[in-house]
Amino acid sequence: MKVLVFGLSLIFIAFILHLIVWRIRLPQRQVKTMLQMFFATLTAGILALWNAPPSFEIFGISPPDNIWEYLHICLMFVSLTLAYMITYSALEADSPSLVMVMAINNAEPGGLDKDKFGEMMSDDILVMPRIKDVLLDRMVYMDGDKYRLTPKGALMARIFIFYRTLINAPEDGG
Amino acid sequence: MPVSGNEIHLLIPILGLAVNVMFQLLSVRLVPGLGVLRSVFTGFTIGGLSVLSAELYLSGGRLTREADVVPMIIANLIIYGSLGYCYFHFINLGITARRIRILRELYVSGEGLSLNELLKRYNAGDMIDKRLDRLLGSGQIVCIDNKYHIGKPVMLLMSKTIVAMKLVILGKRSEFD
Repeated sequence: MKVLVFGLSLIFIAFILHLIVWRIRLPQRQVKTMLQMFFATLTAGILALWNAPPSFEIFGISPPDNIWEYLHICLMFVSLTLAYMITYSALEADSPSLVMVMAINNAEPGGLDKDKFGEMMSDDILVMPRIKDVLLDRMVYMDGDKYRLTPKGALMARIFIFYRTLINAPEDGG
Repeated sequence: MPVSGNEIHLLIPILGLAVNVMFQLLSVRLVPGLGVLRSVFTGFTIGGLSVLSAELYLSGGRLTREADVVPMIIANLIIYGSLGYCYFHFINLGITARRIRILRELYVSGEGLSLNELLKRYNAGDMIDKRLDRLLGSGQIVCIDNKYHIGKPVMLLMSKTIVAMKLVILGKRSEFD
């Protein structure tokens, strides 16, 4: 019960803090800032529980008794944080399918002309923002007029190339 | 030091994820025609069942306090579900993400690419063609008299949900707002 209650309470606190900060100002490097906030909340929460007086209780539940319960709370917090980060990344950028479906829906009931549809879905909307993302995340850098991979970008590329081989994915994709 | 059960509970969702990954990889490689998505469901289900079985086995062996059995099962299923969700997105990133495709193109090129070279290899046209095939194939959109219309409402509902989440969390409907 302690793992469930304290794990969920900490993630809830981190989420509320994140919503408040995001309402005040959107950080430039959102995922990095969010990770820092969530892990600061976890550290502060674990330290507070560790140093809590014996009489301290939440919903009638006292702080964890041993290191394994603390580690279990950390595992719950980290797994939920990672799941949220991934969902957030998907929210941050407009997916091509979402852009396409919303464009068609906005053109109803008459429907969206094929040619007009092609004009709306340009490289500026679908590709350039993602190139800016990989530059901002320091996975790619500019060398003259060439885009080149940083060691971080090359590592990411290798991981996914290896995984795609493992699942027999086709050459293209994306 | 006697085994209290706490340390075993901690490992169960991690082992569940390992089972999930193993069965997903085995099924996608060994079962012809299964496809990636169904292999993900297969792995996730088998991993989840292994978490549940391990928890029930521990509660039967009295390694879990009676009052803690249900909360521990819920906690470990939440952790397993989150880890499984992360794994699903990892697979999805490798298959559909534009950022990963850009990194792969640059990696394969070896020498780096100019913007024009990159756009020759990967551009909005390629991306739209693939997604149109998927959306038309699944009936989410239909083409009548050279015009696209919404077909089945599933993808539209998902898109509207995502836009609503963007409004709540980011305060805007689109990255271009």
